[in-house]
Amino acid sequence: QLDFWLAPRGLGLPVDIRVPFPSLQAVKAHLEADGVSYSIMIEDVQALLDEEQMEMRRSSRRLPLNTNTFNYEAYHTIDEIYNFMDMLVAENPNLVSKLEIGRSTENRPLYVLKFSTGGTNRPAVWIDTGIHSREWVTQASGVWFAKKIVQDHANNEGVASILETMDIFLEIVTNPDGFAFTQTKNRLWRKTRSKHSGSICVGVDPNRNWDAGFGEAGASGNACSDTYHGPYPNSEPEVKSIVDFVKSHGNIKAFISIHSYSQLLLYPYGYTETPVPDQQELHEISAKAVAALSSLHGTKFKYGSIITTIYRASGGTIDWTYNQGIKYSFTFELRDTGRYGFLLPAKQIIPTAEETWLALKVIMEHAQNNSY
Amino acid sequence: RAMELPPSHFPAARAAAVALGYLRYLRGGPGRGLELRELRRARRQDISDVGHKYCLELELEDVLDKDRTVSCTAEVLYHLGSKASAPDVQVTVQGELRSTEEADKEFYNWIRSLEKELVAENIPDSQGNVPPELEPIHLLAWVASGYVIWQNSSENTKLHLAQVKHVKQVKRSDEDLQFDYVVLLHDMVSQEVLPWQVTLLWHPQRGARVSQCHAPGAGN
Repeated sequence: QLDFWLAPRGLGLPVDIRVPFPSLQAVKAHLEADGVSYSIMIEDVQALLDEEQMEMRRSSRRLPLNTNTFNYEAYHTIDEIYNFMDMLVAENPNLVSKLEIGRSTENRPLYVLKFSTGGTNRPAVWIDTGIHSREWVTQASGVWFAKKIVQDHANNEGVASILETMDIFLEIVTNPDGFAFTQTKNRLWRKTRSKHSGSICVGVDPNRNWDAGFGEAGASGNACSDTYHGPYPNSEPEVKSIVDFVKSHGNIKAFISIHSYSQLLLYPYGYTETPVPDQQELHEISAKAVAALSSLHGTKFKYGSIITTIYRASGGTIDWTYNQGIKYSFTFELRDTGRYGFLLPAKQIIPTAEETWLALKVIMEHAQNNSY
Repeated sequence: RAMELPPSHFPAARAAAVALGYLRYLRGGPGRGLELRELRRARRQDISDVGHKYCLELELEDVLDKDRTVSCTAEVLYHLGSKASAPDVQVTVQGELRSTEEADKEFYNWIRSLEKELVAENIPDSQGNVPPELEPIHLLAWVASGYVIWQNSSENTKLHLAQVKHVKQVKRSDEDLQFDYVVLLHDMVSQEVLPWQVTLLWHPQRGARVSQCHAPGAGN
């Protein structure tokens, strides 16, 4: 039962043998009795095999072969998501490109995927997920959206018609430092990871750091608070990079920022009770979007302005984008309503992404059909 | 005097969260987890020198019996003034909640039969998983946190159980089961997540009661 890994070839050449455990003593005795010198190369082959199995399982999780074998039903690490992006671009070079719009406080790249069938600076839709790092179903949905856009285009259905005249920009990991922190240290971390002088507390709420009612009621001036607005508007590179991008692009027509949880579709304002001039139109779009969302799995969403539906919040993303002239500015709060909250089971990722996509399409189609 | 409130506006939603917490404390158990299916109607009455009273019509479901719902009316009275005082809550459940006698007995006997006291943490885990055998412990955490939510809510908070950080069973000489929980509560309004220590006693016939409750930062 000896398994020769290197068979006898000639005098003076070594022989390698795997010896099953029950034969060990007999083989040793035999070699020693005949004066054959030996050394042990591997003490325990089974242990090596077990380790290799584990590594294979881990690495097959880390590096799927392509975006068809990627597991959309699971939560992923930053590396896995960044790898997914590169694969998506490599598989669809004529549709998808990856832009680096800046770097986070801890110097992680801030990547945006651009989906375009051509043209120059076409009117565009912006979607971001994961600006609050603990809202894991959002980054996971962002990954699903990216694949969905590519599939629709390949099958000439769904958003393929949107892509005929518009570009889509998708930032999946909008707060990578926070996201890394939720994976390693604190699953319920919300903010960025910036340090500002004068406080031991870390991080700024990236959804209070925009220049719209900055610092007014609806945000905290305490650096230890989860709604800390930061020392000044756009102090956070995660926010500033989007501000710079939006301003230099100049042709974004719809801006959608995705959060969880609460099952709400919200439009501006959060920092003031004054309704936006386009209130009625945004309200009607919301009604339609929410109906489309609900049609798939029956998930019920409420909708309205931020300040009436959820709370007063100042320095918020879509208040700023609306004031920049991006009329179709919306925020989603995805599943659920508190049963699992931020810790949404992974098996709900795909249903959540699927239903949300229907609502996003309503908004994108409206933007396409109502140019301004 | 009573003002109709749009159910999609936050004041009604916050009052509903208080009513749900109270109801979970009163009627929840290892075999019953009550969830809000829908807030149907809300009215508010400002009572001078007393406070704000919310009258709610709710539709509830038991997460272990999702095919049916139960209607309920609730009154939540937030007292005036900044002195920390729990809202007064009254609820009337219309109709019957599914009986949990079998499940309760099974759970009770299982815990009593354990040689080592049960200890668990991070329920659900980061990916939202709850091992099936720990689901009753999870639902008892809803009971415990329901109490904390009821006792610590105001019109400016909306509290939810974010995660059970830690739970330890403590064997007792009487017939109650005792679980010492550390629960993380998320306040939707301030967005803070804060740990609360709660000691819950439970008995299949007598139900649940909180014997101790420490605010975040309070020592043992």
